Amino acid sequence: MKRRLGHFLVRVGAIAAKEVLHIRRDPRTLYMALVMPVLMLLLFGFGVSFDMDHIPLAVADRDGTRASRELVDAFVAPGEFALARRAGPEEAGDLFRRGRALALLVVPRDYERDLSRGAGPRLQLLVDGADPVTANQILAKADAIVRSVGLARARRAGLSAEPPLQVKVYTLYNPEARSAEYLVPGLAAYLMAIAAVLLTALTVAGEWERGSMEQLFASPVGRLDIILGKLLPYLGLGILQLLLVVGVGTAVFDVPIQGSPLAVFAFGFLFLIGMLGQGLLISVVTKNQLVATQAGALSALLPSMLLSGMLFPLENMPLALRVLSYVVPARYLVRGLRGVMLKGNGLGVLWPDLLAMAILALAILAVATGRFKRRLA
Amino acid sequence: MSGPSIEAVGLTRRFGAFTAVDQVTFDVARGEIFGYLGANGAGKSTTIRMLTGLLAPSSGEARVAGFDVAQRPEAVKSSIGYMSQKFSLYLDLPVLENLLFFGGAYGLWGKELALRAEEILELTGLRALRSATTGSLPGGIRQRLALGCAILHRPGVVFLDEPTAGVDPVARRQFWRLIRDLSGEGTTVFVTTHYLDEAEYCRRIGLMTDGRLVALDTPQALKRTWVPERVLVARGRNLAAAAAALADRPGVAAVEPFGSGLHLRVQPELWDAVSVKAALAAGGAAEVAVEEAEPSLEDVFLAVVSRPRPGPAPAEVRP
Repeated sequence: MKRRLGHFLVRVGAIAAKEVLHIRRDPRTLYMALVMPVLMLLLFGFGVSFDMDHIPLAVADRDGTRASRELVDAFVAPGEFALARRAGPEEAGDLFRRGRALALLVVPRDYERDLSRGAGPRLQLLVDGADPVTANQILAKADAIVRSVGLARARRAGLSAEPPLQVKVYTLYNPEARSAEYLVPGLAAYLMAIAAVLLTALTVAGEWERGSMEQLFASPVGRLDIILGKLLPYLGLGILQLLLVVGVGTAVFDVPIQGSPLAVFAFGFLFLIGMLGQGLLISVVTKNQLVATQAGALSALLPSMLLSGMLFPLENMPLALRVLSYVVPARYLVRGLRGVMLKGNGLGVLWPDLLAMAILALAILAVATGRFKRRLA
Repeated sequence: MSGPSIEAVGLTRRFGAFTAVDQVTFDVARGEIFGYLGANGAGKSTTIRMLTGLLAPSSGEARVAGFDVAQRPEAVKSSIGYMSQKFSLYLDLPVLENLLFFGGAYGLWGKELALRAEEILELTGLRALRSATTGSLPGGIRQRLALGCAILHRPGVVFLDEPTAGVDPVARRQFWRLIRDLSGEGTTVFVTTHYLDEAEYCRRIGLMTDGRLVALDTPQALKRTWVPERVLVARGRNLAAAAAALADRPGVAAVEPFGSGLHLRVQPELWDAVSVKAALAAGGAAEVAVEEAEPSLEDVFLAVVSRPRPGPAPAEVRP
């Protein structure tokens, strides 16, 4: 018994050691696992911002008074909008089509006079609605600016500055709505998914393609030996990747880890097991590196990006997609990491997500192991 | 272990309606070099896969190294070495790492593994190449390394599936020296090959066509049984026209062009070198020289492929 266990460990060790040698000799693997994630994180962190400023604004000032100029200044001065050009309201369509401006502010004639009379002049804002996210942001910003200009005037006139009913908004967790804090947990999921699925799918499919799988099957090396020996090195690589992504996130983008780093690790670990299982399943089914790459990229990339809540809120999705997202491990990871890192949640709150990930990981590993036949026919 | 190293009785493998291996029966003694010959698709690799525990037989049975291949494939796998048709060394790894990996796959480790790897490097003449990247080596050297990987764990039986395919003649010769050394140490070698000259090195040969073992014996006995005619080689000028005329004469079994000359099989009662020479000269050939030749395994192979089995079925002959 002891001797058999010894042989088992020797075989797993031999396969794992060989895998480490392969990885060390192929810089592409290391690049894909360690350099690409950091590059993508920097790119997304610096480049992708959901928070717009300097929105190009055209202005049709038909009043041309001090009050109207004050109003335009209020739009442009804080940097929320940039004055693209002065134009007539009839030009709006043309400006939007050419992309010269995203919004056109029309200040009506007699704006100052109506204002001082308290007649409530009507401003007009024309918005390019081609991109609804941007249009919504423009509306919200314009609304806030106009309200603050109105309040300032009211105060100067000695009127009550406080409207009778108001809402005070406090944003807990990521109060400045910084993209990085929102993105890093999602990106961690996305990057780990790609690397773990693709790398395992490639290495196992490579053994089939090369014919060395037949060689291994004719030796005492068992199914479990191959699976463990192949997956362990990539599990290590995946954990290194998680540390790197979270490390860069906290160091460069000041993403906090409010909760326990151990919880972050627990989520990453379970997620990786599931992804490695997925890679294994793909390679066992395809037995071909080219097809495995395609299948791996598609099955890792799309769900972890689109159905994880990383970019698009799951709550707004059609029912079918929402149901589908329940079998996407990235969904639980993104929620879990956001919970731990931004809210400081502990396992007391997050255990259902961990449990779901564990179930999915075990299921896919079981299917992959089942499909992995040692006999050729 | 007493008894034969490999024992197959009525071994059969069907894939759907196609019978790849049909009722094959033979056994191989300990330390014997057993050659398995046949055209592509004749069922050689399928036989090997059944004997190595990779493929379950549809019917019949086989014992390898004393273990039943269907009942105890794991025990079979531990006791054999196997070099598959496209034996797959890891080309991105150095020579020594390939040896260490396959050693580990068979449960060898530590000092024992290191010592054994050195022995194999010495045996295969690869000591100087230990750190070379495997992919940078020529095919012949890779095949020696592959053999080294297959025998690292000192198996009693080694299966080699077309080990010298695509290897140059010098490297093939070196490879066969290794095989003979192995056999000399008591290792049973089961080898398939395309090269009929190599088959001469085998103690016994099995010939497969269409999944059936149609001949099995020593190379000498096969030649006697399958090529009872006298084999003659003729050289000279203007042989072609004379050959055509000769081919129609009674007692001439075959006239085939062979290099610049002719290869003839004739009935020994009717023809000899002198009469053939006279007939060719009469047919218009000039400067004719005719010599008697030993039939080659190629003659045997051609005879086996083109004819139904003669006399008692050789497949059932046991040594």
